[in-house]
Amino acid sequence: MDLRLAGIVIICGNYGCGKTEIAINLAIDQKRKGSQVAVADLDLVNPYFRTREARKILAAFDVDLVLPPKQYLRADLPILDSRVAGMIRRPSGLRILDVGGEDVGATVLSSLADSFQGQAVEMLQVINPFRPHTDSVEGCLAVREKIQRASRLKVTGLVGNPNLINETGPEHILEGYRFMEAVAEASGLPLVFITVPSGLAGRMDLTGINCPVLPITRQLVPPWEKAGPI
Amino acid sequence: MGKVLMKGNEAIAEAAIRAGCLNYFAYPITPQSEVAEYLSRRMPEVGGVFLQGESEVAVSYMIFGAAAAGARVFTTSSSPGISLMSEGVSYIIGAQCPAVFVNIMRGGPGLGGILPSQADYNQATRGIGHGDGHLLVLAPASVQEAVEMVMQAFPLAEKYRNPVMVLGDGLIGQMMEPVEFPDHLKTEPSDKDDWATTGMDTRKSDKRNLVRSLFLDPVQLNENNLALKRKYEQMKKEEVRFEQYNTDSDYKVLIVSYGTMSRVCKTAIDMLGEQGFAVGLVRPLTVFPFPEEAVNKAAAKKGCEAVLSVEMSMGQMVDDIERSVRGSCPVHWYGKCGGEVPTPEEVIEAVKQLM
Repeated sequence: MDLRLAGIVIICGNYGCGKTEIAINLAIDQKRKGSQVAVADLDLVNPYFRTREARKILAAFDVDLVLPPKQYLRADLPILDSRVAGMIRRPSGLRILDVGGEDVGATVLSSLADSFQGQAVEMLQVINPFRPHTDSVEGCLAVREKIQRASRLKVTGLVGNPNLINETGPEHILEGYRFMEAVAEASGLPLVFITVPSGLAGRMDLTGINCPVLPITRQLVPPWEKAGPI
Repeated sequence: MGKVLMKGNEAIAEAAIRAGCLNYFAYPITPQSEVAEYLSRRMPEVGGVFLQGESEVAVSYMIFGAAAAGARVFTTSSSPGISLMSEGVSYIIGAQCPAVFVNIMRGGPGLGGILPSQADYNQATRGIGHGDGHLLVLAPASVQEAVEMVMQAFPLAEKYRNPVMVLGDGLIGQMMEPVEFPDHLKTEPSDKDDWATTGMDTRKSDKRNLVRSLFLDPVQLNENNLALKRKYEQMKKEEVRFEQYNTDSDYKVLIVSYGTMSRVCKTAIDMLGEQGFAVGLVRPLTVFPFPEEAVNKAAAKKGCEAVLSVEMSMGQMVDDIERSVRGSCPVHWYGKCGGEVPTPEEVIEAVKQLM
């Protein structure tokens, strides 16, 4: 199943669910498939491990990255660049918005409400069932509720990101997939794709997985590790 | 329970709850605010208390109050916030109460920055506040180790009736790793009746307890300081912890590094090994008490020509290393403290300059 996305895709979810890794990997994946891709780093909440850390790799793939002005790159200030609204209003191409964690992070979206008018907006909730607060179906629904209230937008689809970083095994992917099916059923939302670490994707049997798979090569790694070749 | 993927700050918060600590007072500051955020949800679930103080100074006295009443209590902050707490910490040391402080260090001095740093080494290991005091200081290098150290910190604080600090850098708070939680701590401090102000209703004896750091009688104050000194001597005997890496074979250079910085050093040591250069590492897990004997022996090993302190501060650990090495070989420093964590390549370059 081929993963193809277009229009405005908002990546949201609770803290540390993997939004930024997904935004980076998704952007490169879609660019490789011939789409025009732009990414906006809207994480105004947390100063660590943001999309901006991956600006070199995104530039290498000619993905357009909208960031706050350089002098504020390392600040934890709520800076929303006016170019984000401009990017949203672009007539074509895939436009990925990587927002901060939970309702606090999603609040920024409500201030962009005008720009979204008349546009097709997909809002994808990323879920890692091995994270606190999203290890139960009820927990996932509660996070969705909070994000919807803060952003004044509706979640339109789910993304499964089951992983324990370097300790992820095939069993985690399969368990995570089953969990995501349960969340999809309870919420009535489609499971748009799930992620699999690229090192695992070639080695495991994915036949039981009935949704597109996005291979993930971690780009936001601690300083003693090297980001994988993407 | 299987492993979960947690941010260091979340894991620290959960670890405190599992250690039976139901009292958390704090004031938010980057990069440790997720502890407060997590506990604002979690404390009500377990019947605990999270109260946000009006400042870190206030928080330090909330800690003092709860500790004096014999409750397990902790706080978390980051560098400038810990400076504000230093007054209360000194009072708690003087009054000999147990409490746990977590410092997720950011760059300094002043407001500094919000990225990782280890520039509070001197502050943490030299007692933080005024007077002849120390904290027992544990320095984790992974999220799992942060969990274990937070859970160990409470019984240690109670054993010594002295504050214990868990000293991590911004990365420890912000990075995510799979973690497993040890069983809940079931032990409660057993000697509370001897010193805590728990109230006369439940007291077994008629003795009234007074918690204080004020001793106007010079003989009493001197005795209190001697009692503190004895505790620190006991810590030096019983609590020193360290890890050695690549020290079994011969090496020309010995690195001393702690916290997440030591993980960069391990990667550098592995890469140097592939290039045919042997380098050893001693990683202090306690920075007070400092693993003097381990560093001394590792530096005195035949063939070792230089010791390199690698830290995200401007050489603050060098004093402790020199005191341990006692002149057997020269002690050098490499580090950065603006918020960028030195890369393995930069550490390799610094090591090669000594070869």
